[in-house]
Amino acid sequence: MDRWLISLKLTMLRHSTPGMRMAGWAIGGALVVVTWAAALNAGNDAARHSILTLGLLLWGVGTAIGPVLMSGSGTLRPGYFTLLPMSRPVLGRGLLVSVYVSVAAGVVLAALLATGVHAVLLSPAALAVAVPGAVLTWILLVALSRLVYGLLGAAMGSRAGVEIASIQFGLMFAGMFAGWIPVQVAIERTPDFLATGFTDAAVARGLDLSPTSWAVLAVERAARGDWGGALLLLGGLAVLAAAVIAATIPLLVPSAEPARRRRGRRRSARLVAGGGWLPATPTGAVVAKEVRQWSRDAWRMIETQSGVWTGVLIGAFALASEDLDGVAAFAGLIITFMVGISACTVYGQDGTAVWLDVVSQDAGSVRADVRGRQWGVVLTFLPKILLVSVVFVLLSQAMWAVPILLAAIPALLGAATGAALIVAAVGVSPGVDPRQRVGPNDAVGNITFHVWIAMLLMQAAVLPTGAMVLLHLLAPAPWTAPALVVVGIANGFGAAWALGRVTIGYLDKRLPDLYSRIRYGQVFRTDDGARTGWAGALDWFESSTLKGEQQAKALKQKQREAQRAKVKV
Amino acid sequence: MPDRRSRNARSAEARRGVVGQPGGMTTTSARPAPEPGGPAAEDSGGHAASESALELTGLRRTFGDKVAVDGIDLAVPRGSFFGLVGPNGAGKTTALSMATGLLRPSGGRALVHGINVWRDPVAAKRVLGVLPDGLALPERLTGGELLTYWGRFRRMPAGVVADRAAELMRILELEEAEELGTLVGEYSTGMRKKIGLATALLHTPRLLVLDEPYEAVDPVSARVLTAILRRFTAAGGTIIISSHVMSLVESLCDRVAIIAAGSVLADGTLDEVRGGRTLEDRFVELVGASELGEEDLAWIGG
Repeated sequence: MDRWLISLKLTMLRHSTPGMRMAGWAIGGALVVVTWAAALNAGNDAARHSILTLGLLLWGVGTAIGPVLMSGSGTLRPGYFTLLPMSRPVLGRGLLVSVYVSVAAGVVLAALLATGVHAVLLSPAALAVAVPGAVLTWILLVALSRLVYGLLGAAMGSRAGVEIASIQFGLMFAGMFAGWIPVQVAIERTPDFLATGFTDAAVARGLDLSPTSWAVLAVERAARGDWGGALLLLGGLAVLAAAVIAATIPLLVPSAEPARRRRGRRRSARLVAGGGWLPATPTGAVVAKEVRQWSRDAWRMIETQSGVWTGVLIGAFALASEDLDGVAAFAGLIITFMVGISACTVYGQDGTAVWLDVVSQDAGSVRADVRGRQWGVVLTFLPKILLVSVVFVLLSQAMWAVPILLAAIPALLGAATGAALIVAAVGVSPGVDPRQRVGPNDAVGNITFHVWIAMLLMQAAVLPTGAMVLLHLLAPAPWTAPALVVVGIANGFGAAWALGRVTIGYLDKRLPDLYSRIRYGQVFRTDDGARTGWAGALDWFESSTLKGEQQAKALKQKQREAQRAKVKV
Repeated sequence: MPDRRSRNARSAEARRGVVGQPGGMTTTSARPAPEPGGPAAEDSGGHAASESALELTGLRRTFGDKVAVDGIDLAVPRGSFFGLVGPNGAGKTTALSMATGLLRPSGGRALVHGINVWRDPVAAKRVLGVLPDGLALPERLTGGELLTYWGRFRRMPAGVVADRAAELMRILELEEAEELGTLVGEYSTGMRKKIGLATALLHTPRLLVLDEPYEAVDPVSARVLTAILRRFTAAGGTIIISSHVMSLVESLCDRVAIIAAGSVLADGTLDEVRGGRTLEDRFVELVGASELGEEDLAWIGG
């Protein structure tokens, strides 16, 4: 039974993308090497104690939340086994055992064994404690990871899962833009830490309380000859691991209870249909729909929140560095920039629901749809942008940045809504249709090209404000600050209007083609020859994104066929 | 409001001139075709008004080498309840998509109340109510929110939208789900069909095109659905449904077309197509059936 589940899991792992697996192994291996190297290079025993307790705590946190961040095809979902004639404890045990058989779990064990370095250097006999200590910690951590995963539900099911995934994306973007800042700070401080460890006794004591540190403490006791104390600590680890396992197994087996969810208060249909503070116009209707989609669709929530976290994290990086803390005031502006990227797939997110736009096409319906979506983006993002800006301006004390922000945020936000809508309409990238989506990434194809175009359009659209910012900074005068704000706001409205206008002009003629791309993955058009100028640029973007989607699809098909051929051989 | 809409549609029709009756039409509906919302005969003036609510001429769609719809001709008389039947993959959905402006045809044309769907989509779509099969909706709205959005997006007055949405939700028994805040994405297949039908009806169209409207709908709701649809045709509206449940089509429709492999195999009144047998027998005879051999699945039942 257990063997059967493990082999099923290994089979599923073999079907996951080889590139991703390789990258995972490489990163995990590198982290293990870093852990061991740090332990070997510690200046003295106390420093090694600090390094190991801190390092193992980080490994513990990483192991606990890792599966939530990357719930991959290697996971056996309890739902697969609901209909099998199998008792719940047997299935639960099998599922838990299968978790321990994976490359990721192996990587964690390899890192935990770094405690062995400590033992060998203190007193080789303590190795007899280090190895069982590492294994017990490992059993505890892997069970804990399943417990956390089970409690959070599938990563997409809950608001917490969305937030965790957003932080991960935010870290990725922030790392791309400003990752060098924390690296620099770390490089400055690491040698000291390696040489002396924590000088703050309270921090060191706090770390010792974490169960991930108990194996290290046990090794130290054994080295001192206090074998009883060492055994006590190992026993504590074993009891804790058993308790976590006991709590985890019921969560692993399929639940017979249906998931019942209720959203907020009870309401009546009449209230929904009559109320609302938006104007009862077609545009108002689209705005209301869009604001709801942005706040309820897990995928769109990730789009917003990863933009917000990117800004917040870059701001935090900048605050941590002594020379750059003024930059932190622009955290909100970074979020504004991310809007253009976060919103550049709105039509693809809707998937085939775009049929509603097609069958209700009317004079002005396309205009209402585009303008409504633009306002929806503004209403979703602006409060968050303002909040983050206020907090980070106060934290960084950079009051000089306020007029620049008052101009740049409206300018960039207007440009972002316009650029995002053009890219979303002309280069629609549907992915999996909304009803079949499971994970947040189901919805996107490859949108690197889209992101580039959106960024270019945004930058071009805010040139007037950029020029005014330069003037304000290089030749400040009493009038430049208010003039800057006026130019920024006008620039924002102008850019949103003009770029939105282009989208409306495009969709007015090609709404059915937008639907065709989503539903059939191709455009059925026989007429018009090559157009020139702006229209030609749009056509070029349309056909190249479409070609990209089709090529990706063909490639996937080819891979599938190649794999099938391999299986047959 | 609905009056204005239908007047607009009619005047658009009048502007474009009226298309003559195609020769290929099997029969003209015997009954007079009254218009919902008022008489239409005067509007058409002396022209020979198109009697068809929907007219497909040589409609064709290919996907690469595959011919999904192979030049079909169909005429659906006004006021009729028309059933489009065919096996899976016959081209029903593709044909209806082209007729409702969702899929550009490779050739041929589709006229809705005489208006060319692909030349004057705006005028044609005012007359049309559509329930597609298997497409997404704004999944993160509740049913009531969806109807509200939909009505206002279609420029209906807020009060009318509120009244109609509440009434439709009540009659289609979606009220409880609404009170619980259930999102469309969490609806069952049958509930999705019902809310889809509500969106199709909300703006008082004159031609309803419903793709598999009864799929997964429970028998009680199906009865309600039938009553709604009958009332719609009694008021002079036209309905086209696609289905592969023969008994359903037989009990509902007065006209039927059987299509398979992208072509119309039979078309006419129910009795003409049946020719004295059941629709299912006729269907199987036209489409062909695969029999279960004596030795196949012999192990079934232990």
